[in-house]
Amino acid sequence: MAERDWAISADKLSLTFNAGPIWDRHQYQVLKQISFAVKKGETFGVMGRNGCGKSSLLRILAGVIKQSSGSLRFNNIGSRSLLALGLGFNNDLSGRDNALLSLMLQGEEKAEAKEMLEDIQDFSGLGEHFELPVRTYSSGMRSRLGFAVGVTANTDLLLIDETLSVGDQHFKDKAEQVMLEKLNGEQTVIFVSHNSQQVNKLCEHAIWIEQGVIQAGGEAKIVAKEYQRFMRDIK
Amino acid sequence: MQFPQTLTLSHTMAVMRLKGEASKLVLSYLWWVIEPLLYVAVFYLVFEKLLLRGGEDFLVFLMVGKIPFLWFSKSINAGANALLAGKGVMGQRDFPKHIFPYSVVLEASYKQVVVFLLLFVWLFTQGYSLSQACLWLPLLILSNLSLILSGSMLAALLVVYLQDLRVVISMGTLFLMFASGIFWDVRSIADPEVQQLILTFNPLAFLLDAYRQILMHQTSPDISYLLVLTFLSLVLLGLVHWVYARQSQYIAYKVLS
Repeated sequence: MAERDWAISADKLSLTFNAGPIWDRHQYQVLKQISFAVKKGETFGVMGRNGCGKSSLLRILAGVIKQSSGSLRFNNIGSRSLLALGLGFNNDLSGRDNALLSLMLQGEEKAEAKEMLEDIQDFSGLGEHFELPVRTYSSGMRSRLGFAVGVTANTDLLLIDETLSVGDQHFKDKAEQVMLEKLNGEQTVIFVSHNSQQVNKLCEHAIWIEQGVIQAGGEAKIVAKEYQRFMRDIK
Repeated sequence: MQFPQTLTLSHTMAVMRLKGEASKLVLSYLWWVIEPLLYVAVFYLVFEKLLLRGGEDFLVFLMVGKIPFLWFSKSINAGANALLAGKGVMGQRDFPKHIFPYSVVLEASYKQVVVFLLLFVWLFTQGYSLSQACLWLPLLILSNLSLILSGSMLAALLVVYLQDLRVVISMGTLFLMFASGIFWDVRSIADPEVQQLILTFNPLAFLLDAYRQILMHQTSPDISYLLVLTFLSLVLLGLVHWVYARQSQYIAYKVLS
């Protein structure tokens, strides 16, 4: 890949957790020697079952935690943000207040963040619910709010965790539409899902992780097929 | 994110939490005042009415000690939990983690402003007059705030490294409640050496005594001690900030795992 074309280069990323009381300390490896590269402006897919380590990989890519070993390099990527299923919302606050806080946590100034709120309300389709406490929301509404905040904020790298799997059909279509627009745009997106069809539809390249190890990587179409075959076989 | 921006963020988080909390309660913002008064009422009932141990002006004495203490103990205990409570947002991006304990301390401090104002007004109606000593009140409150802020930052950090410490911290604030002269007067200790020992090595006992000196006895507190305490608290705050900045991702790792 030419120097200006690449956005992320991961080389042998590993992540280890410690657990247990002091007299029975044990380690478990969540990610083992993960290597891949992502092109600038591309939507890159990460597939795998629950607990395969894909969420941990996203956290490392988002800069939330640091890998235990291996190297991770970014090219011209300043801000990174991870978009997970409406996590991190304060239930007692309205959608509007939560959106404002999320934007500010992403580094937006308060005044700028306030200006973005109307767009977020529009995109989320929450209408009057935007002013109600998030505790009154359904899980679909929460993820719509999260997704709306994520796509409105100005980040160079957007990491999306399963967001499209929740919400009604209308919103799903809208979200996919935005993703497809981003696919052709400037923003680099990492899309994580256990749904191979979605990855196939939205991504050009992808990897499939099973038990912390890359099982396949390359063209999304081919990786999705291998993943589907694997999933069929274990059923 | 620059430091001033983290302050705006901590402030916004604090204000929103206050708003969220009030929206759930029938008596809403009135709780800011009711809660400390209830604490004072319980102590008053036990010591003045049941044990007959109060003494002259016991209610005023109790309020002037208990109200600043509650600011401290509530901030430290909430602070100890501040980073763990931020788990949801911490899992999404990297940002300066000190905003969590800061917002907790701000939240408690905004309530405290209201409670302090009411306390001052009430003292005034009770015949306690303003004196020159009151000029030291801002320094005293600043000193108290810096102790609370550095203490909360430290407590939050320690609990992330070792969650078991949460119990120890809450025991510690309970111990300080007994050891800082809230319902008894440090100055009533017969042995002057012991008295001095407590006032020197328990900064909280010193601060509570200073509030009483200023508000009840119109006497200036030991200013040099106050300045040293403020300075040391700020040094501690600086050190803890340094650890927060260096360990930002490690803090997230510990909180999330």
